[in-house]
Amino acid sequence: MSSVATSEGAAVGGVPDAPVVMPRGRRRTEALMLVFSVGIVAFAYANVGFGLKGAPPAGMAGYMIAFTVLLVIAHLVVRWLAPWSDPLLLPLAATLNGLGIVMTYRLQEVGRDGNPGAMSVPLSTSATLIQIVYTAIGIGCFVAVLVLVREPRVLQRYTYLFGLIGLVLLALPALLPSSISEVPGTGAKIQISLGGFTVQPEEFAKLALAVAFAGYLVAKRDVLSLAGRRLVGIDLPRARDLGPVLIVWAVSLLLLVFESDIGTSAVFMGLFVCMLYIATQRTSWLLIGFALFVVGAYTASKLFSHVGERFDIWLHPFSGLNPSHNAFQLVQGLYGLGAGGILGKGLGAGQPYLTPLVQSDLVTTAFGEELGMTGLMAILLLYGLIVQRGLATSIAVKDPFSKVLVGGLSFMLALQVFVIVGGVTRLIPLTGITTPFLSQGGSSLVGSWMLIALLMRISDTARRPPPQPIQDEGMTQVVNLS
Amino acid sequence: MNRALRRVSIAVLFMFVLLLANVNYLQAFEADSLASKPGNSRAFDAQYQYQRGEIETADGTVLARSKYVGGTYKYQRQYPQGAEYAPVTGYDSLYGASGIESGENSYLVGNSSKLAVRNVIDMITGKPKKGATVQLTIDSKAQTAAWNALKSSGKAGAVVALNPQTGAILAMSSYPSYDPNQLAVLSGDQLNTNDKNLLHDPSQPLLNRAISATYPPGSTFKIVTSSTLFAQGKENQNSLVSAPTSLKLPQSSVSLINNDGEVCGNLGNGKATIITAFTESCNTAFANIGMQVGSAALKSMAERYGMNATSPTLNQELSTQVAKSNFPLEPAQSFTAMSAIGQKDDTVTPLQEAMFAATIANNGTLMRPYLVQQVQAADLSDVYTASPQAQSTPVSANVAGEIKQMMLSVVSSPDGTAHQFANAIPGVQIAGKTGTAQNGINNSGLNDAVFTCFASSGNRSMAVGVIIQGGGYGAAAAAPIAVDVLKSYLENG
Repeated sequence: MSSVATSEGAAVGGVPDAPVVMPRGRRRTEALMLVFSVGIVAFAYANVGFGLKGAPPAGMAGYMIAFTVLLVIAHLVVRWLAPWSDPLLLPLAATLNGLGIVMTYRLQEVGRDGNPGAMSVPLSTSATLIQIVYTAIGIGCFVAVLVLVREPRVLQRYTYLFGLIGLVLLALPALLPSSISEVPGTGAKIQISLGGFTVQPEEFAKLALAVAFAGYLVAKRDVLSLAGRRLVGIDLPRARDLGPVLIVWAVSLLLLVFESDIGTSAVFMGLFVCMLYIATQRTSWLLIGFALFVVGAYTASKLFSHVGERFDIWLHPFSGLNPSHNAFQLVQGLYGLGAGGILGKGLGAGQPYLTPLVQSDLVTTAFGEELGMTGLMAILLLYGLIVQRGLATSIAVKDPFSKVLVGGLSFMLALQVFVIVGGVTRLIPLTGITTPFLSQGGSSLVGSWMLIALLMRISDTARRPPPQPIQDEGMTQVVNLS
Repeated sequence: MNRALRRVSIAVLFMFVLLLANVNYLQAFEADSLASKPGNSRAFDAQYQYQRGEIETADGTVLARSKYVGGTYKYQRQYPQGAEYAPVTGYDSLYGASGIESGENSYLVGNSSKLAVRNVIDMITGKPKKGATVQLTIDSKAQTAAWNALKSSGKAGAVVALNPQTGAILAMSSYPSYDPNQLAVLSGDQLNTNDKNLLHDPSQPLLNRAISATYPPGSTFKIVTSSTLFAQGKENQNSLVSAPTSLKLPQSSVSLINNDGEVCGNLGNGKATIITAFTESCNTAFANIGMQVGSAALKSMAERYGMNATSPTLNQELSTQVAKSNFPLEPAQSFTAMSAIGQKDDTVTPLQEAMFAATIANNGTLMRPYLVQQVQAADLSDVYTASPQAQSTPVSANVAGEIKQMMLSVVSSPDGTAHQFANAIPGVQIAGKTGTAQNGINNSGLNDAVFTCFASSGNRSMAVGVIIQGGGYGAAAAAPIAVDVLKSYLENG
């Protein structure tokens, strides 16, 4: 690992004689940015009320106070437990989370109280409250991660335990009967639904597996970096080292087949291949991983109709019966985006309810419709900034495990946004995965907050100044040892 | 590892650039094409999200307006005048529109390119979008007079009144009509039911008889026949023509007679002046004139009066095809004779009837009929103002003067077919021509009553065409309606 010259790194590896520039925690910046994000969310919330009724929404004060209190708690915990962490991550996540709550409220009000429209699956009257409770749980888990993981390297000790937890969580829905694990109407077996309470274990499996991958790869990276044969200028890995890649590939394919969950399968494969690449710096691993995924997905699309259908919808959404049948959801989402245009209809003034299940996978189209291209681009840039802060942390941090982990997590977030936003905007085939922070629902939100906690924990390590050597210790004292 | 991380960062940057570019493409460039895709109910509902412009008459009577009702469709269309104006306004329903509602839709919705700059300003200043107001040329008093007269006659028919100097349509009424409010309902099921009822109604209330139905013109066509003859420059209203009581048509077993076998004029030699033949509407005289000038000349003149053609301005304003008034070239002399008195294959719209009189009233120049006077944006600035255009000049002012004399005589002469209206409007001289058109196979149907006329008072003048299906005599069934319309307009001048 070479030493890195980032703004933080300059202080760390500075010339000993130069005046030491103390890196700053920038917690005040964070506090200020949090005020800003509460402002944006409050404005958006009021906007929904004005868009629907011409008056601020009922119960707005209560929700906003709860939201603010949660952020104050998160901020105080960060001051206490991760004072050197990146100051932008918390406000960025808070803004997205807040906008998600606002959209949940907006969709909850559809068809109620004289508001226009009807949702394909109506939200309960307490959906906003529940979303705030999930936010509280999310921030609770955020705090828990910061409390339990004081030092990221600790996680490395439990590499295999996390791997096991991750696999169990992933496999669980596939093994459970459909009545418990199937998302109604989609055929995707990705959740555990008991007594009205639903958890999507994959949201947590992702984090567990990321930790496991990082631990494994850092331990084995010397072996995995060994070159085997050379083929057209690329060093291929040794055949015997292909094992782990093949295992992850097999798991992702199983996900694809048994849980009908192409999006998650792509995200897992992408996460692993990316971490493998970061750990080994071998381009060949990237190519092998990518080729394996493409071959797997192509074969699956030929063998399983539900996978093939996704491609057909992607390529020909407007032809034949597609617009009103298979592609209805995608097409309605696209119509929503088109209707939003450049400046959007305004929160509460669009018709996002025409898109089936707009509250979950297609929530981006609701934002695109009501906030327009401008708002949607701003939201994408919020994600982009989180990912950028994560990758910057990854470059800054010295410990290889943390490097691989935070690099992988950042890439996973980017990939997730790419898969779902790219899916609903028809850049790539639409596969149902949640939009981090924005989709209605708890597991994804809690998982996303845990991810932010890990990024902040590692950025705290990366930006923390080394213990200052005592410069001025006076004259060397002669100690008489007689 | 940092080298790999930097590459990953570049890949991530690339992914986000792709997403941003695609969002730009969809929402900025593709938005219009998405809006026009089939089944895009958002684009459809969007029309009901803000206030559609009003339609009003020249004198400010509101014919159509949008009322806030809330719900998915925030505004509902209302037609305060109901059936009376349905042939003009048409309807704006969930499934489609007709009439002015359809033809002037881009103004009423506010999407016309002429409104684009104002829309951008409104968007920036946050003013709610509102469509432009379309002001018609219709005079509400004339329209109401036409409607009431048609309604009290109880027979299917239509009235069109024109301003001869401009071509502005002052009244356009068709009976039976329908209440467009029935089609402005915001429930799809209710709309389907109402629409079905109207479509299956045997009285055809959706048919705009003023422009979409054609009838034989009968003797009113003698205006065209006279025009053809006078245009040749050799004869005038005082020239003598052969007007026997019975005329055996060449190569035919049919003999043509005058109405009720009357003798034409009082010269007693089987001849009559053209003005007499016109005043008394002698068929044999005009059959002879027709055979004299020939079918080609009649057709050419008929076409200069607007027959055999549709009306482009009205087609666009009403989003429909105005029916062509028909005058084909007749191969046989006997047919030419019949066509010269408005029988055989001749058919006209009530609009065409008004155009006959309007041409004469305007000294031989036919003005292009139009219905939209002005379009006013929501900020009250004008975006469109009609400019009258000449369509053709069928006859010289001289010939028009001759024919005017004859038409005046129809009403003023004691022998005139419409003599009973000589003093119908105090101080106003009406010039007119009656028509009683035989109808159906072997003329078994009831006669259609036709009347075309014009009059002026002060600086107001008006030409009216009336056709009453199965009305009988033109003077009895059609002329009283036309006179009512003239009266309403000229007396209120």
